[in-house]
Amino acid sequence: MVTPSDTESIQVEIIPQRYLMPATTQKLLNAIYENGGLIRIMIHGPNLPRSVPYGPGRGSPIEENRDLLIDVGGQAFELSVKVGRIRLELESEKYFDGLKAACERTLPFSVQLKKGKFFHTRQTLTDYAKFGEVEDKRILGLIDPRAKKERLAILSEEKVTIEDEER
Amino acid sequence: MAYTPQFYPGSTSVGINRRKHMSGKLDKLRDIPEADVVAIMGHRAAGADYSSTHPPLKEMGEPDCPIRQIVEPTAGAAAGDRVRYSQWTDSMYFAPSIPYWRSYWGAINCKGCDPGTLSGRQIIEARERDIEAYTKAQYDSEMTDVALCSMRGCTVHGHSLRLEENGMQFDMLARTEMGADGNVYGVKDQVGIPLDRKVNLGKPMSEAEAKKRTTIFRFDGIPMCGKVGARKYDEAVEALHHMWELRSKWGFRPE
Repeated sequence: MVTPSDTESIQVEIIPQRYLMPATTQKLLNAIYENGGLIRIMIHGPNLPRSVPYGPGRGSPIEENRDLLIDVGGQAFELSVKVGRIRLELESEKYFDGLKAACERTLPFSVQLKKGKFFHTRQTLTDYAKFGEVEDKRILGLIDPRAKKERLAILSEEKVTIEDEER
Repeated sequence: MAYTPQFYPGSTSVGINRRKHMSGKLDKLRDIPEADVVAIMGHRAAGADYSSTHPPLKEMGEPDCPIRQIVEPTAGAAAGDRVRYSQWTDSMYFAPSIPYWRSYWGAINCKGCDPGTLSGRQIIEARERDIEAYTKAQYDSEMTDVALCSMRGCTVHGHSLRLEENGMQFDMLARTEMGADGNVYGVKDQVGIPLDRKVNLGKPMSEAEAKKRTTIFRFDGIPMCGKVGARKYDEAVEALHHMWELRSKWGFRPE
């Protein structure tokens, strides 16, 4: 159920200067979560496969990429990407300064914050093929069109409607 | 007067480093044991026999050929070794070497090798005992910074990505890791198969050191035109324009 908001939401992209380790990701995401005003958030970065995908070593396990569990807002989920970019939507402009402060407080290096439009609003063919008719429009733009369903990494203050998958 | 080859124009530090790489007169920064280099290459177990594609040349009885009499075969060719490869990925963030310069280095300084240059990786193929020597030379010299460069036989992804928090080049297969003691350790061979022990590759360069030794022109490092605001561009750009002009005309004579 989407609650209509009386203020204009804003979308922000956070680009740290370096790729984040799981511990730093957890710190940053928690700081963002505590700042409040979050409608939806997506973490993005290069994939961390659990085993060597091709070549002579295909199938060898990559222990370093397994069990990268982080705890955000009391919920544990497993990272499957090296976090390099975070896109999120805030309820209103007033949360932006807090977000900026949260990033600067938790990251030991510089970070770039961009305001803009980062999530698409109309359902694409891929969205339709994956999920059918999407009722909760917040899911749009959170989906990597090439990823399988179980590789989605979705965080939200409320549970999302699609398969109630909170990861 | 003896001829001394000239390699690359320019008086910027990058130009000087590029000349150094091509001439092969490189500083030796570390000494990684041969057994460790062989383990990371992953083609054979250290101490094992070399596999061969033909009998040693001496036993084969070569045809009477003046070129064969002039050219002395490399150790690997003389023994009939298989051709093997080593492949490097160098980060765009001021890695000391880049694919083109690894290839120049190989083509100029390494006998009997076949360098291949790609945008994000560089491969050298040669007879097995030769490529082992060439790889060790690359590892030990200033061509390699153990954090910004790594040997990647497959899944080479990473050269154009941001660095990790600890300053390492991103590697999906986690072939190298930063130890608690500040040393970089090789934990897998170049195709991602775990090694039975960790190989200590030594300490990485500091950011300033990497910028000093790099062969990469970058706007936030040393730009190719030389000093910003100078009356004259660096010679590297003039030479590049000259080559571009000749290459474009390519013997065209409108008479």
